Amino acid sequence: MSRPLAWLRAHRWSFSAIGILLLWAMLSLATARFSLSSLSGVASSASFLAVAAIGQMFAVATGGGNVDLSIPSVITLAAFLTMIVSGGSDAGLLAALPLVLSVGLATGAINALLILWLRIPAIIATLAVGYVLDTAALLANRRFTTFAVSPILRALASAHIAGVPMILLLAGALAACSAALIGRTSYGRTLMALGQNEVAASLAGAHAGRIITIAFMLSGALAAIDGALLSAHTGGAFLGMGRPYLLQSVGAVVVGGTLIFGGSATALGTLLGSVLLVLIVTTMQIAGLSGGVQDMVQGVVIITVLAAAGSGVSRRTA
Amino acid sequence: MIESALAPQLAHPVLRLEGISKAYGPTRANQDLSFSVAAGEIVGLIGANGAGKSTLMRILCGITLPDAGRLEIGGTAIDPRHFSPERAREIGIRIVHQELSLCASLTVAENFYVEQPGQGGFGPAWRRHYERLAEASLAAIFPENGIHVRRPVAALSLPQRQMVEIARAGVDPKLRLLILDEPSSSLDMRRSRELQNFIAARAAAGVAVIFISHKLQEVAAVAKRVLVMRNGRLALDGETATITVPQMIAAMAGEVVQDLEQTQPQSGVTAGRVLAEADAPWARSPLALHAGEIIGLAGLEGSGQREFLRALQRAGAGSHSSAGITCRGSVSFVAGDRATEGVFPLWDVYENATIGRIAAGPLLAWLRPMAERSAAAPFLDAVRLPPERRASPILELSGGNQQKVLMARALIAAADILLLDDPTRGVDVAVKRDFYALIREAAEAGKLVIWYSSETIEFLECHRVLLFHEGMARRVLDAGTLSEDAIVSASFAEQDAGTPMKAAAKARPSPAGSGPLSRDTLFALVPFLTTALIFGVIAVLNHNAATLFGIDLLLSAAVPLVLVALGQMFVVGGSEIDLGIGAFAGLANVLSATFLVNQPLFGTVALLLALGAYAALGPLIQARGIPAIVVTLGASFVWAGVGYALQPTPGGSAPGWLSAASGFHLAAIPASLLAVMLGAILAASLNASRMGVVLRGFGANPRAVAQCGWSPLAASLLRYAIAGSFSLLAGLTMTAINTASDINAGSSYTLLSVAAVVIGGSALIGGRIAPLGVVCGALSLSLIGSLLGFLGVSTDYDAAVQGGLLIAILVLRAMEVRRA
Repeated sequence: MSRPLAWLRAHRWSFSAIGILLLWAMLSLATARFSLSSLSGVASSASFLAVAAIGQMFAVATGGGNVDLSIPSVITLAAFLTMIVSGGSDAGLLAALPLVLSVGLATGAINALLILWLRIPAIIATLAVGYVLDTAALLANRRFTTFAVSPILRALASAHIAGVPMILLLAGALAACSAALIGRTSYGRTLMALGQNEVAASLAGAHAGRIITIAFMLSGALAAIDGALLSAHTGGAFLGMGRPYLLQSVGAVVVGGTLIFGGSATALGTLLGSVLLVLIVTTMQIAGLSGGVQDMVQGVVIITVLAAAGSGVSRRTA
Repeated sequence: MIESALAPQLAHPVLRLEGISKAYGPTRANQDLSFSVAAGEIVGLIGANGAGKSTLMRILCGITLPDAGRLEIGGTAIDPRHFSPERAREIGIRIVHQELSLCASLTVAENFYVEQPGQGGFGPAWRRHYERLAEASLAAIFPENGIHVRRPVAALSLPQRQMVEIARAGVDPKLRLLILDEPSSSLDMRRSRELQNFIAARAAAGVAVIFISHKLQEVAAVAKRVLVMRNGRLALDGETATITVPQMIAAMAGEVVQDLEQTQPQSGVTAGRVLAEADAPWARSPLALHAGEIIGLAGLEGSGQREFLRALQRAGAGSHSSAGITCRGSVSFVAGDRATEGVFPLWDVYENATIGRIAAGPLLAWLRPMAERSAAAPFLDAVRLPPERRASPILELSGGNQQKVLMARALIAAADILLLDDPTRGVDVAVKRDFYALIREAAEAGKLVIWYSSETIEFLECHRVLLFHEGMARRVLDAGTLSEDAIVSASFAEQDAGTPMKAAAKARPSPAGSGPLSRDTLFALVPFLTTALIFGVIAVLNHNAATLFGIDLLLSAAVPLVLVALGQMFVVGGSEIDLGIGAFAGLANVLSATFLVNQPLFGTVALLLALGAYAALGPLIQARGIPAIVVTLGASFVWAGVGYALQPTPGGSAPGWLSAASGFHLAAIPASLLAVMLGAILAASLNASRMGVVLRGFGANPRAVAQCGWSPLAASLLRYAIAGSFSLLAGLTMTAINTASDINAGSSYTLLSVAAVVIGGSALIGGRIAPLGVVCGALSLSLIGSLLGFLGVSTDYDAAVQGGLLIAILVLRAMEVRRA
């Protein structure tokens, strides 16, 4: 294997970076409509996706094919709670944010409890918890009256600093912190060990329960924060607003180069994967494709990436 | 050396190898192997790990193609291009694998079918045939075995499973060459003797036997002739009567090694402080283990030694309290089962070693990789790992070197207590000697070493040996009284001191299957009772529900869910979950309410194309080794996207024949009830058929079923084709009932179908499914919606109730498993 190729294999995030550059070049050449302002729109959408996807990445990294499917429901519920509790004022936000954050953390903790203590497969546990949260959002929808947004939250979600969306800076900072957590702390290293081989990690002294619980709580908390920011960005909350994040959060993680069976995760890749996915959707919108076709293409892209990244053997040689 | 006795038979050998070679990259697994095995001959095959035994066995049973050489069976040359596991079985070559290859969720008789298909005729009588075959085979080798051939293998004890495994291969009437790979590892003395008698009897009847074992004494007792392999070559071929065990070891190692019998235990060690204490239920009387001691855990395999080691690990890690065990120091653990309990396959040597210090430390410690590396170096030196191997990915190392890395991981943790779980299993003699030295050094450095080994001779390295029997340390042997004979005879003495038929009693008498109202039966009845209960309540609330018309109305809403759930059940039977099955039913709904109405031919083709795409997901998941959940989640967007693109808003109409079918009655039985019954019968008969058995086998133990010659790709294609067909039927019934289509109509069925499968009594992993239970599960979930409506509860709560019900059922099931 030649050296550049080996480098690419070792830095799996680079594939999504190359994908972004190719697609960007194509778009710039093909259409004059793809301007700098639409680039800023892409960056903003990608940042909202990245916040949720980085949470998903921690859940996926726990291994065993674990996925957090409660993320869309947390996002929707968090958006409703933010709108209702804050009532559009910064003072209200002081009450809303802790509430929303604890809903996210509690969801993660319940997910982890079901997965670890009761040995329910992660997808079933998170899907069922998501259904319960959906009902809560349905009830919240009944009490939903205001469309006013707290100015601070609006600034965080939609303002620009020197032309750069604030939310992109937030997502970038989050990715950097997550990268450090994964690569440079004993928590991250042990999480990767657990994702590769849970028995071996436990025998080496890892506290599997604690580490996996933290991963799912991170996922829940980030989804909750994302929901709060999204409500400010879109200026409201509506049922099913988290739904696109079901597939896209998983998609950004695997497209970014995190291994779907766990044990190896890249925060930078997840950020780039989010940009690539949003860029693909934007391309389709520019091309005038319908929503159905957009969904279809996203599904095909994710299956293709998974198939290409697959090991070619059923299960790893672990 | 052996010509005189065996010359007449060798004229017509059963097996003849000439110059067999096989290389994997630079590794020469087999080099120029030539030997013959005569009819009626029992040959022992020994060699260190990596000597090439497994490769040779894989070549003999058609799994691996040799690069060069000739293979003759019964005097006929084998064409390598047409050699396969099936072909090997046809010509009478059978192997009993070292890692048990039974499917736990299948019955004993079904396991016989999976391995030797093609008997029992065409009708449903095949089942009876295999039950008789299994019974007769088991009784022929192991009389009074107490094994019920209609019970799932999961209900059998480990020795019983090994007996099934041996009987399955050994009784084949076409048998000419029987290969036994470590066959006696979990058999007790009586069963081992029965096995030896059986081998002798089969050999007397003209079958050639190859007996592989790491237990050299056993080889010497069973086999007349022994083949020793080293580095892919034949190192020694001679009669066991003239070769001593030390000579065998020398031949395996390629050098004269010190005789293990002569390494004397260091007696008179000064006992340090007490680091661990054991009491009931682990020991008869309180037992103190000291720093500086090497404690061996002996006894027959499976007598509780490994459980004791794990309990010590948990107690030392402080995460769980273990009854009867106190640890006064930190622990580190060396696993002997490297692949499943030891290595981190994505990492290099350094990361695999340093995790020993990192994992047990504080969660938010800052890591400095370079410093970690230099800190790890002395430990890698200590385990004598060659420096040039240290930057390699762990999986590129040989088994022995991987084991050294695991030892370094344990030493880096700088714990007080070192727990060894058979660390020298399958490593060569040179590495073993390194390990003995390391263990001695660790004890001299003041650690307490607790060592479980499957090789009795290794206990001679210990200061004290705890003799385990039935989960408890019954006796303590001190250094003065230690010898291999003493340990072996004491082990068997304990065995005999118990009730004589202990092994039969240990076969988990499982109160479950005994009475007509046992716990298992009760659990199987839960879905049926739940359905009846919910229906009863509805009937009380609204009397019209109990009429045929009322039933039709209630069931009409349930039919699509029943069908989707049955489809999901087959996916779950393969230990996978399909997150796109509801969306696929929605797509079938859209296609049948649009194209099928106006252009029946094109509509049919479109539906079949969709089914083909759905079925193709199975082989894709299988061939690329990717998680079904994420693939089917992606696919759900494809199905929904296609449906949405074709029909952005709900609409369409039902083809005339389809809406006519929904009004069909058979002797007053409404169409909905007929559809539920037909679906249940179809799914149940598919599941009970031979094809269903193989599909469940793949869900339980895919590798074993594949080794029996079944194609995993074909199985997964079939599994998804069946699931897709049920989902497609669900889509058609949705069209028939609603006489319109909506791409979102099916999406709620995905979670509900998983819930129905779980409520119906299927296991989410392991290939155990229950079609009738699933039907009831789906009916219950559907009726709950109606019940809530009758009770005046807003439909807002439907999802929460259904999600909550799923969690509640899983919680109950998990608690039941914990209790058992």
